[in-house]
Amino acid sequence: MQSERKIPAGILVGIMAAFILGIGGLLIIGLAEKSRSGLPLLGQVPEFEFIKQDGAPFGLADMKGKISVVDFIFTSCQTICPPMSGNMQALYDQFEGADNIQFVSITVDPERDSLSVLQEYARDFGVDDDRWVFLWQPIEKVVWLSEKGFMISARELPMGHSSRFVLVDPQGMIRGYYDGVDDESMKVLLQDIRKLARES
Amino acid sequence: MKNFRRFALLSTLATYTLIFIGGLVRVSGAGLGCPDWPKCFGRWFPPTSISQLPPDINPSQFNFTLAWIEYFNRLVGVTIGILIFITAVLAIKNYRKVNKILIPSLAALVLVAYQGWQGGQVVESQLKPLFVSIHMVLALIIVSLLIFVTQQSYYLEKPEADRGAIFPRRTRLWMSLLWIVGIIQVILGTQVREGLEVLRQRFPLLSGAEIREYIGPVNYVHAILGIVIAAVTILAGYTILMKSRNLSGLIRESVWGMIVLIVAQLIVGLVLVVAGLPSLLQLFHLWIASLFIGVIFVLYSAFRRQTGGDHAIGA
Repeated sequence: MQSERKIPAGILVGIMAAFILGIGGLLIIGLAEKSRSGLPLLGQVPEFEFIKQDGAPFGLADMKGKISVVDFIFTSCQTICPPMSGNMQALYDQFEGADNIQFVSITVDPERDSLSVLQEYARDFGVDDDRWVFLWQPIEKVVWLSEKGFMISARELPMGHSSRFVLVDPQGMIRGYYDGVDDESMKVLLQDIRKLARES
Repeated sequence: MKNFRRFALLSTLATYTLIFIGGLVRVSGAGLGCPDWPKCFGRWFPPTSISQLPPDINPSQFNFTLAWIEYFNRLVGVTIGILIFITAVLAIKNYRKVNKILIPSLAALVLVAYQGWQGGQVVESQLKPLFVSIHMVLALIIVSLLIFVTQQSYYLEKPEADRGAIFPRRTRLWMSLLWIVGIIQVILGTQVREGLEVLRQRFPLLSGAEIREYIGPVNYVHAILGIVIAAVTILAGYTILMKSRNLSGLIRESVWGMIVLIVAQLIVGLVLVVAGLPSLLQLFHLWIASLFIGVIFVLYSAFRRQTGGDHAIGA
């Protein structure tokens, strides 16, 4: 007789259902935790149009589809710019074979940094392709792009420019900020570029 | 008539699944996966990429996985709303004059509609703990109504079911006490959870043990009451199984269910304390509690079928 069974079938079905729900729950909690451990979405880079060192235009459209590392420098700077550009060069060399990763340096001293000066600066850092570009525009637009576009300080330019590197994903979304003169921060940036490359 | 009972049972099981999914949304942190309501990021279907976000929405809020977890919860919620609507329509059609089926069916429909709206308030309040707790207690009330409707329609089909059972005299009293204390325990549990969430937000580096310590007396009251409920349940279950006669399959399975659930709840509660409050176990802790309350409700209704003292035996 069914009523005499030690443990009724309904209980076993319930335990099975709980087990299946538990596996499903574990999977979803895992997915949610994984999604949060990804790089945050910090803001969208706005439309902009600057000029590359070779005179060609460069804007948001040229950042779409690629991972970009952006910084603000000026060529006659003798303090933080050499190590910043040195770190950028190390990344440029490291990702030599990766067409989907580019480096963007924007001059904060457009009066002195003409396109030819920028070209020479690029050569000094061994730039021989389009993976590392140097951008120029009048100072008002540089301030706007720095403060409104990449959300980093642009007071008392050129000397007061930020040492930050900005990581931008292929959708033009800012995903992280790093100290361009700090080795530990550069290691984190390297990991994050790889993480972003896997994500995209 | 049989179709109605099957439909009501389906609604009950589906609501329990939704309680599980709702708990999953909370423990996975997906409650604000869709920051607006009823739409998700301004769309009826959540965006699949950032490029689909409306310009007035902050893109840093977007997380594809969390948006779809919350959206799935809403989809299942709507489906259950439809199931309960059909149950209410069938009740009007088949049991227009049977108040004990018609009224709870309509009440479940009104409450599920309110629950949908209240879910929106939960999102708008940015997951204010009180709103989340109201959402959960409402779900328990809805599922209790559905259980009641299912059981009563079963008894209408089989008028003699559960009438011949002979059981210890104070069983009904113990069942009603367990049900009431069970609800109080769930409310206490929501207080513990609220404290937990507030502490985790303010002090994200605290360990599980430190968090429990900071929650204070409500945590200990919850734990002690849990042990008391477990002891009473096991004793009551054992007494019913040993001293009763002519128990139906429904009652026997429900008593076993009650015992298995409370033992499982004890184990989960213990592991929660030892293992530092892991998310999946928090989810099961809540879900088992809701199942326990449902089973106690079934038993109380079943034991009420047997009227008069001549069938009861002394306990």
